[in-house]
Amino acid sequence: MSETLRARLYHVVLWIVSLIFFSPVAWIILSSFKTRSDILATPPKLIFTPTLDNYVDLFVNNRGFLLQLGNSIILSVTAVVIAVFVSFLAAFCFSRFKPKGTDFLMFLLLSIRMLPGPAVILPVYLMYVAFGWKDNHLAMILFYAMFSIPFSVWILKGFLDGVSTRFDETGRVNGGSWLHIIFRVVLPQVKPGLIAAFIFNIIFVWNEFLFNFIIGGVSTQNIPYALAVGAYSDGGLNWTFISALTSIYILPPVLFIYFFQKYLLVGMTFGTVRGEV
Amino acid sequence: MHAVEFLSVSKAFRGKTALDQVTLSVGEGSFTVVCGPPKAGKSVLFRLLVGLEQTDGGQILLAGRDITHAPPSERNIGYVPQSFALYPHMSVYDNIAYPLNLSGAPREEIARKVDATAGMLSITHLMKKTPDQLSGGEKQRVAVARGLMKDAKVFVLDDPLVGLDYKLRERLMDELKQLCEELKTTFLYATSDSLEALTLAQSIVVLEKGRIVEHAPAIDLYLQPQHVRSLDIVGFPRANIVDVPTRSGTVSVAGFAFRLPQDVKAPAVILGIRPEHVTVGRTEGRSGRVAIVEHLGSEIVLYADCDGTQLTSAYPASNVTAPAIDSTVTVSLRPEDVMVFDRDTGRFLGRCTPAAQA
Repeated sequence: MSETLRARLYHVVLWIVSLIFFSPVAWIILSSFKTRSDILATPPKLIFTPTLDNYVDLFVNNRGFLLQLGNSIILSVTAVVIAVFVSFLAAFCFSRFKPKGTDFLMFLLLSIRMLPGPAVILPVYLMYVAFGWKDNHLAMILFYAMFSIPFSVWILKGFLDGVSTRFDETGRVNGGSWLHIIFRVVLPQVKPGLIAAFIFNIIFVWNEFLFNFIIGGVSTQNIPYALAVGAYSDGGLNWTFISALTSIYILPPVLFIYFFQKYLLVGMTFGTVRGEV
Repeated sequence: MHAVEFLSVSKAFRGKTALDQVTLSVGEGSFTVVCGPPKAGKSVLFRLLVGLEQTDGGQILLAGRDITHAPPSERNIGYVPQSFALYPHMSVYDNIAYPLNLSGAPREEIARKVDATAGMLSITHLMKKTPDQLSGGEKQRVAVARGLMKDAKVFVLDDPLVGLDYKLRERLMDELKQLCEELKTTFLYATSDSLEALTLAQSIVVLEKGRIVEHAPAIDLYLQPQHVRSLDIVGFPRANIVDVPTRSGTVSVAGFAFRLPQDVKAPAVILGIRPEHVTVGRTEGRSGRVAIVEHLGSEIVLYADCDGTQLTSAYPASNVTAPAIDSTVTVSLRPEDVMVFDRDTGRFLGRCTPAAQA
């Protein structure tokens, strides 16, 4: 088999696999432009008259939607920005000052991520109730930031280890303070790591349902919450609501990943393969 | 006043001694090269001076001021590290201007100084590039330019030419020498290459295993080393160093017999002979078998087995054909070229005299 033929065959297989994986997404997006009867029609309708009714319904008639969308954006962006900032400083400390037991501490940090959410939900719930933090934006942000920090520290430490300490030293010899070195010398060199950490965590917080449902409340509800609660609100599965909401819901992460996918790949290697980003 | 003084400075890492009671004074405006094998402690000495490491004991003085515990920012020393450490996110211009930007100098002054230094190092055309677009030699020159940007009284260059190709090193050495003369400031330079040391230095400090072996003007140190390790470390090709027993005030090496300096009574001594003092091809001398021949273009380096001792000889290649391996050559030595060192302390004891005069 010639090289070109083989390459073409690979491409065909890749396209087929990609289309199979993409088909549920395509189905939900198409459904969002269908009427309820078109969605439920058997056999499924590929040719139909598109309608924007579902979106109008969502934006105009569903009073909670804008609050939920706003919450999703505010909670995820704020929590992840805080988490990445704190993690960067922590990772800098681990990477440069190497406190005793760094390896063990790094393991402990990651082990927090190994814990399944339901295992901690009860103590967290009781704590939040006791503090009076339930249904509070700041408290939710703090929780998500706390949950995002361990993984971010891991990613960023890998990146920071890749930045030679010689750079720090040059800064120090020339009169730079530690803050100058952290933010002016080192930070610009780990930008890919910061973006990778940001993307990984924002995907987590953006999709988070359990904690929002339990320790959040009416004022902090996000879109996963809305999806879970609203899907059955009509007596049966409300497919028009689900499809329209999901289509809007997946848009920000899809755009984000499309534009920053190279950082995502770099992040998966924990900074060990830095490449040209 | 001395520009830099180390007073009994010691440093150990995890119990392993890096510097042991180092005492060294560097004259103002001098170009001093610290020469020694890898891991001798050269970089540690410089890192202590610029403040990147803290001493375990002793004092460091900069123009008479105690800076032992001063933070690096208060020392005002220009530093070119062994690795280039050019910031990849900055242009060449910003890299060079970095020390001045940090000190808050006015923009015009920065531009003027960067232009002047870049012109001196012939890197003006690189200003808008980023470090990843530069060759090794260009990176090195940018690093040197950045190191020289400060209005410092002392510049410390930690083996800045290591790893560069020979031609480039030679050119940069000339540039550095010229620069030192223009700036009239104190330069401290570390290298493990003795040719580099001899080319650049006004004075050479030989450092080995964290101790200073010898500190002397470069040419004196080459012609008359006071320690056998200085003889071994400084000079290329390596000097002939032979451990020999003495017999009633005389020694014999490679079939030659010499008289020792009068006051040497030790049962054994170390003899040192520079390769250029081992002459090959004269009519008088001992015959030796050629083991290895290295033709360096302008010079021939020959290793000959003479009476069980291998002697290295270096001589100009002009109009001479290099002898073949395994051929027999006549090797001769002058007694006054044979240096005698104490076997225990390594100290220089004197030079040999002809045995026949005894």
